[in-house]
Amino acid sequence: MRTVRCCMKSLSSVAISLLGAGSLALGGAASVRAATNPNPLHASAIQIQQIQADEVKLPAEFQMSMYENVIEQVTKANRFQHVYRDGDHDAAAAPDLVTLHCTVTGFKQGSARERQVTTVAGETAITVHLEFTDKNGQKLIANDVQGKVRFLGENLRATYDFGKKVGAVVRQDFAAPPKGKK
Amino acid sequence: MLKPQLSVFLSALAVSIALAAAPAIAQTAGKPITTFKVKSVIGLESVQHNTKGKATVSKDGLNFAGDTAKGNLPISEIQDVQTGADSQRAVGGTLGTLTMLAPYGSGRFLSLFRQKIDTLTIAYRDGSGGLHGAIFTLPHGQADLLKAQLVAAGAKASVITADTGTPAGSKEAKKQ
Repeated sequence: MRTVRCCMKSLSSVAISLLGAGSLALGGAASVRAATNPNPLHASAIQIQQIQADEVKLPAEFQMSMYENVIEQVTKANRFQHVYRDGDHDAAAAPDLVTLHCTVTGFKQGSARERQVTTVAGETAITVHLEFTDKNGQKLIANDVQGKVRFLGENLRATYDFGKKVGAVVRQDFAAPPKGKK
Repeated sequence: MLKPQLSVFLSALAVSIALAAAPAIAQTAGKPITTFKVKSVIGLESVQHNTKGKATVSKDGLNFAGDTAKGNLPISEIQDVQTGADSQRAVGGTLGTLTMLAPYGSGRFLSLFRQKIDTLTIAYRDGSGGLHGAIFTLPHGQADLLKAQLVAAGAKASVITADTGTPAGSKEAKKQ
């Protein structure tokens, strides 16, 4: 009985250490990915335009949820002193304003039921073309990002995933503001 | 060993049946609804995501009252109100997650039971002109009623449903 307990203990400690090593490796990969841009852009303010979905039929709740999630995640990224919403009059006063335009290029509404029952089917995916422009309308960065929900969660969770990925793009391509200016 | 899992399964089944029956019971009352049971999914300022509460429409606007947070959307700031349809697991939350551990795939079986819900998306602009989007979910069939009350109170809507009294073929309704 004692030996069995000992074995169980050692097995669990091995499992925990493996998990720890795995998470450290993943964390390291993420930090390497975040620091890939050697010349990050500098801007004190960003304005996020309403999500455009002219060519794709996108439900209103998805469009608004994407917009709100992008604002939330860009704010969390902590790269700008001000994050302005679409139509905010105060944005005009910002000297080095960057504008983010998001255009939906693809939308596949999956089924949460299928996902939960089969695990592999029923994926919801939103493909969006991102464009960061400066005050003169010149393109700074262009990128395609996909928000997905594959296994767990309702369809709207794809908008959260999209927001997270936009936040990652911002973290990667923009420099953090100098300390004391936040 | 199976007893706790079995009890979770049985309780989950009971809750799912009760939840599936709830909207039907609510709709048989026949009285006009003035207070809506809603969930504020995202976008309502000073209210956390997925907060459950009650929404009422008054002259001041749409008032949301959750257990811990309150929010208000003035009618004059509302730019658009749109409704949609979705569904959610009949057994959700922690219990819904726990049912995934139930034996013999019964958790997956429970995932087949979903209840229809309505979504209400409100686009509004704050004092400095910034666009916001608030998303609510309501029991099936109630989003149009809440939208009708908002439109009657003076809120703008790009798509007017028959319930709100504007002809379906109107210029505004054709926008979408």
